[in-house]
Amino acid sequence: MTSVSAARLHLTDVTKSYGPIQVLHGVSLTVAPGEVHGLLGENGAGKSTLLNVLCGVVPPDGGQITVDGTAVTIARPKDAAKAGIAMIHQELQQVPELTVAQNIFLGASLRRGAIFVDRQTQEAESRRLLATLDPSIDVTAPIRDLRVAQRQIVEIAKALRSNARVIAMDEPTSSLTPKEFERLVKVIQVLTAQGVSIIYVSHKMDEVYRLCQAATILRDGRFVTHVALPQTPLSTVIEHMVGRELAHAHHRSFATDTVMMQVNALSRGTAVRNADLTLHQGEVLGIAGLVGSGRTELLRLIAGVDRADSGTVTVDGVTISGANPRARIRAGLGLVPEERKRDGIIRHRPITANIGLPAMSQFSRVGLIRKRALHARSQQLMREVNLRPFDVTRAIGSFSGGNQQKAIIGRWLAAGTRIFLFDEPTRGIDVGAKAEIYDLIETLAAQGCGVLVVSSEMPEVIRVSDRVLVMREGRVAASLNAGDITEAAIARHAIPAA
Amino acid sequence: MTKALTNIPLFSRVRFRDAGTLVGLILIAIVFSALTPSFFTVQNIINILQQSSISACIAIGMTLVIISGGIDLSVGPVAALSATLGAAMMVAGVPVPLAVLGAIATGVACGFVNGALITWGGLQPFIVTLGGLSLYRALALIYTGGTPIFGLPTEFRALSNGTVLGLPGPVIVVALLALIAWIVLTKTPLGEYLMAVGGNPEAARVAGVPVTLTKLSAYMISGGLAAIASLILIGRLGAAEPTMGNLWELDAIAASAIGGASLMGGRGSIVGTLIGCVILGALRNGLTLLNVQAFYQLLATGIIIIVAMLIDRATSGK
Repeated sequence: MTSVSAARLHLTDVTKSYGPIQVLHGVSLTVAPGEVHGLLGENGAGKSTLLNVLCGVVPPDGGQITVDGTAVTIARPKDAAKAGIAMIHQELQQVPELTVAQNIFLGASLRRGAIFVDRQTQEAESRRLLATLDPSIDVTAPIRDLRVAQRQIVEIAKALRSNARVIAMDEPTSSLTPKEFERLVKVIQVLTAQGVSIIYVSHKMDEVYRLCQAATILRDGRFVTHVALPQTPLSTVIEHMVGRELAHAHHRSFATDTVMMQVNALSRGTAVRNADLTLHQGEVLGIAGLVGSGRTELLRLIAGVDRADSGTVTVDGVTISGANPRARIRAGLGLVPEERKRDGIIRHRPITANIGLPAMSQFSRVGLIRKRALHARSQQLMREVNLRPFDVTRAIGSFSGGNQQKAIIGRWLAAGTRIFLFDEPTRGIDVGAKAEIYDLIETLAAQGCGVLVVSSEMPEVIRVSDRVLVMREGRVAASLNAGDITEAAIARHAIPAA
Repeated sequence: MTKALTNIPLFSRVRFRDAGTLVGLILIAIVFSALTPSFFTVQNIINILQQSSISACIAIGMTLVIISGGIDLSVGPVAALSATLGAAMMVAGVPVPLAVLGAIATGVACGFVNGALITWGGLQPFIVTLGGLSLYRALALIYTGGTPIFGLPTEFRALSNGTVLGLPGPVIVVALLALIAWIVLTKTPLGEYLMAVGGNPEAARVAGVPVTLTKLSAYMISGGLAAIASLILIGRLGAAEPTMGNLWELDAIAASAIGGASLMGGRGSIVGTLIGCVILGALRNGLTLLNVQAFYQLLATGIIIIVAMLIDRATSGK
């Protein structure tokens, strides 16, 4: 472990709470100059919050941050930039209409005579910055004409322009091809040769082992350990990340042979092509695949949220005619969306209103909502799923992600939904609530519901599914039965042949 | 602790906000009562209510539209078009109830056109109703040739000028409409849909809310209420002017905002909007009693709106 005085970046005892929920419990992080440092942990472990603290988006409640031995206070993004910390977000923060050079100098444009932007110098400087990273990028081209991998490199050049000594990369390879990853590896080598330190956040362990010299592991917002890589074995790292509780969870199947839903040749553009699937009563059907393989899109087509170009959805032998959410809900389908804030919750409305929304007719008499009945049913459902804090009159926006998820599941239970469509059911949910969501999925199956689960997390798919469909480039590439569901098997079908 | 208070259903966030608006009204009333003895009299309070009734009628519809995440800038011209058509029918000898229904149907139809362009047409509410603002005004002017329609039947005018239990007819009509709107907003599925569509349209759609129908309803109600407001006004004036209703939308938006409606959609209250209307009405009434020049009345209105929003921002926390 690097001694504190020689460290490029040193965080001690960083804490952060959102309301009553503490998300960082005294986290420490030490990164040496020129080191690629992995930041590892499951979703909800606190990685994102820690990165947000580092780049000034989220002010910490407590803790010290030193850069090259000097204590710094980071309360705003500006402070982070001044301290030499830059962040490459997973969703790149660029202005697509502006040129590469304009994006590199965004917010810090070079002036001529205090008023006019000095384009020539900006472009020359951008060319110089990109020379070692990727000289093929045209600095006068608008950002929108670049591929994601190139945009990422532009963002790195921007970090170098602001003299960043620490660059944090959040899931930088989530939308890169293997070839583009190799390019990124070279870029990272160039950076570290210049003494820049990299904080590398990724779920992909092979990348972490290839790139990182050390890693910090977080779990449930706590610092677990600091490991040297690649000498620490993968099994040890994963053990630290997951803890013991999830390792022992085993899968119970309630699948029957009764067909509940059939999807035939569902297609939409190039996102989903001729997808077929069959869901049985009591079955949990996992849908795995890479990001962009069409999993979410398929689920949204089944739910009627997006319109299919062709194909049918048949429930209990009857083909559903309407291609809108209402028709699908009437047929017994309910979508638990990935983007909870965008597609799931009505933030300012109480849990009761969020639960009652699809089943208003059921909760009304002579045109008036029976508030008492809605309240009682909500309480009953939320008690079953262990809503915390237990108050159904509170605005749903004030609850944690896991509890919001429980309310969305409760919404479909109240509506009498029999086919649950889960899209990344535990995205942004802490580990404890995660286990509760898995139990809920199991309970649904035990009650005879059919469940589709789209997930990017392999352990999750393996944990909850009776059967797994693997999607690749918009098609259903394989169907794996109970005995064959392994990470290796999923990966083999998910990755496109070169 | 405000947190403990808001957890009791009786003091839910919305009602808490209404109480704040009421405090504002009481403060204004206290100030004017101290400045002029003629302010706090039964007759003057009835005056204020009567003067506020037309703007309240418009503001109720506006509040529903704002809650649904939209805006209706066309209320004034919709009122003018409905009033001139209704008045022309009456003058032509159509029975009063039928002419009244005709006028209201005109308002609802205008609202439907607005809503259709916004939902099926996919246009922004601001632009659609800005276009409507010119379009419906033009129709009213073209239809009347720019001249007012006189000679409204006395039986029709009796409604606007009569009193029931000492209260002017318009106040009673608008109070009833407000009661209905309050029930719709707080106790029916449509009200819940309005909140959901305005709060998060995509999530509402995923949850099976009939988003298009909900938005259409809001604009149709707003158009219908604009027509009713115009009928009250022409009943009082005895003539239907094609230029009536100028800037009505601004008072209605201001009253909704003072009453706690969020222009981002998803939040708002009928009770708050009514109090907002009375605040604006009381302010004008009090300043007139004090013989303050019209220019300064306008200034005071502007200040009240902005101060109300600042207080709202400061007390709502986030």
